[in-house]
Amino acid sequence: MEPESANEKNTTAALNAPPSHERIRNILHALRTNRGALIGATIATVLVVTALAVFVAGVLHTRVTPFDPIKQDVGPAFAYPSWAHLMGTDELGRDVFSRVVAATPNDLAVSFTVIGFSLLVGAFVGTYAAFRGGLVDEALMRMTDIFFAIPALVLAMAIGIALGPGILNMTIALMAIWWPPYARLARGEALKIAHQNYIEAARLSGAGRFRILLEHALPNISVTLLVYASLDVGTVILIYSGLSYLGLAVRPPFPDWGQMVSAYQDYMVSVPWLPLFPGLVIALGVVGFSLLGDGLKDALGGS
Amino acid sequence: MNTVSFIARRLFLAIFVLLGVATITFILSHSLGGDPIYAWLGKAASQHPQLALQYEAKYHLSDPVWVQYYYYLVGVAQGNLGYSPSRGFVPVTTVIAQTLPYTVQIAFFALVISLLLGVTLGVVSARYHHRAADKSIRAFYLAGICSPSFFAALVLLIVFNLELHLLPSGGSVDVGISVPSPITYLPILDSLIEGNLAYFSSALQHVILPSMALALVNFGVVVRVLRSSMLDVMQSNYIRTARAKGLTETTVFFKHGLRNAMIPVVTLASILVTWLITGTIFVENIFAYPGIGQYVFQALTTQDYPGIMATTLVFAVIIVATNLVADILYVAIDPQIRLS
Repeated sequence: MEPESANEKNTTAALNAPPSHERIRNILHALRTNRGALIGATIATVLVVTALAVFVAGVLHTRVTPFDPIKQDVGPAFAYPSWAHLMGTDELGRDVFSRVVAATPNDLAVSFTVIGFSLLVGAFVGTYAAFRGGLVDEALMRMTDIFFAIPALVLAMAIGIALGPGILNMTIALMAIWWPPYARLARGEALKIAHQNYIEAARLSGAGRFRILLEHALPNISVTLLVYASLDVGTVILIYSGLSYLGLAVRPPFPDWGQMVSAYQDYMVSVPWLPLFPGLVIALGVVGFSLLGDGLKDALGGS
Repeated sequence: MNTVSFIARRLFLAIFVLLGVATITFILSHSLGGDPIYAWLGKAASQHPQLALQYEAKYHLSDPVWVQYYYYLVGVAQGNLGYSPSRGFVPVTTVIAQTLPYTVQIAFFALVISLLLGVTLGVVSARYHHRAADKSIRAFYLAGICSPSFFAALVLLIVFNLELHLLPSGGSVDVGISVPSPITYLPILDSLIEGNLAYFSSALQHVILPSMALALVNFGVVVRVLRSSMLDVMQSNYIRTARAKGLTETTVFFKHGLRNAMIPVVTLASILVTWLITGTIFVENIFAYPGIGQYVFQALTTQDYPGIMATTLVFAVIIVATNLVADILYVAIDPQIRLS
């Protein structure tokens, strides 16, 4: 594409762009009329509200779950799902529903932390590399090549085993490996705008590299990054639940979705629903966040 | 850029990436509980003082880090990956040689199923886009993509083994069947070459569920990419020309559309391989399939450090090699890239 025509398009688009409150209203309208996005938003809201409720209750030393998630013998062992125990009870007579609910903050907190960190670091490193060019840029690109050659889960696993198991260490391991794609994306987006008139104008008016980066470049690439991030929330939940399944995250007796599946699969011959409930909740959560992300992508792409 | 220099550049990049991965595993193996000997012998190092001394000397573990780094790289390049405490202290390379063929079998079938399912549903989706068929296909692959592979594996196991009793629950073959002699080292292929049909049919039954589980959580990306690439292609001028020539819509769709829309699917193969390999760690464990994934799982639960570091490297080699092949294939089939 010729730079002139790109700039022209950009200027016309800027002139025709509706004011920001109207844009937000348009986006919300697009989300409301998209059935997939609505389902996704509902699931995501339920999960986030549940996670917050569990967290606040934990701080206040009370609980929102029907039973204490780690207390044994609140019912008979291996009880069928019923009104008293919505997902039945496990081998120690613990209420599975309470355990699933109590584990909600883990996956969400890990996912949001990892994504938030990757967004920040990726945006800065990527835009900086794009504007700086040369050796810095080349070094970043080659480093991301290395990260892409190892599956995320395997690398997180290897880092995790070096750090030792635990939810905090898994979050650190995931943060360490998750930002390179963001940096790559930010770099690509920043390269697209690097020669636009408004960046050139800022440079001519004497703005320094960091000021241009912070005030002009980042806001303009943030939409693309946010859409990518929203689609990524579910992926982190998937990977984290895998690490948890492998026993690298939350240790028993404290509940975690992936860990529950692996603990309960021993009983699948006689009580098959036991490992299926936490597994289904993971899948449902991931579906929710991907539908919401897809909807967001369509809404922002259309506006 | 001509083809030769393109391939040379890719090859150089591949070597560079592998060096980077080895550097990462080197750094990680130095953070394992403080003693770098753990990376070669695991925490059981103290039980084998003879071997520990030997490794200390061989890898210069008392020397400065950069000296150790050099000997580490040399060792890895020579295929020396330490001893596996979780498998009775045999060399890790032996374990990998025993388990890798089984993982190749699962990954092969999973890849074939993913592509068959993905291409078929992608074509249907594009042909009837925005209609009921398209929407139900989307719901189907979304459910798959969003499920953890261990969940998909458990569902298949419960439905097809515990409830319907159709397929075996685990292992690579029924007990008591004579194993084919190694020719290609892939048991299923060897049994076919040898004419050992009992082994072949039993092994095939055992590989279906694990590879189905992997395919179900991964085929969605094929549908997604093929559908959008197909819709793009069908807008292009040469499709309009083909229609104007009076060709039937079916001919235009399959002969002119699909053939060109398939090009992006080739690059997907490398992404699929990455995902499939990751998935084997869960799926092989659930189906007790004796592949490299099961070994990783075992190594993790027993703190078999050499096993984990070595499999990380092996996975990276597989992925880098697949990427290289995919890149070369891509150039071979798409003349636009070759010329530019």
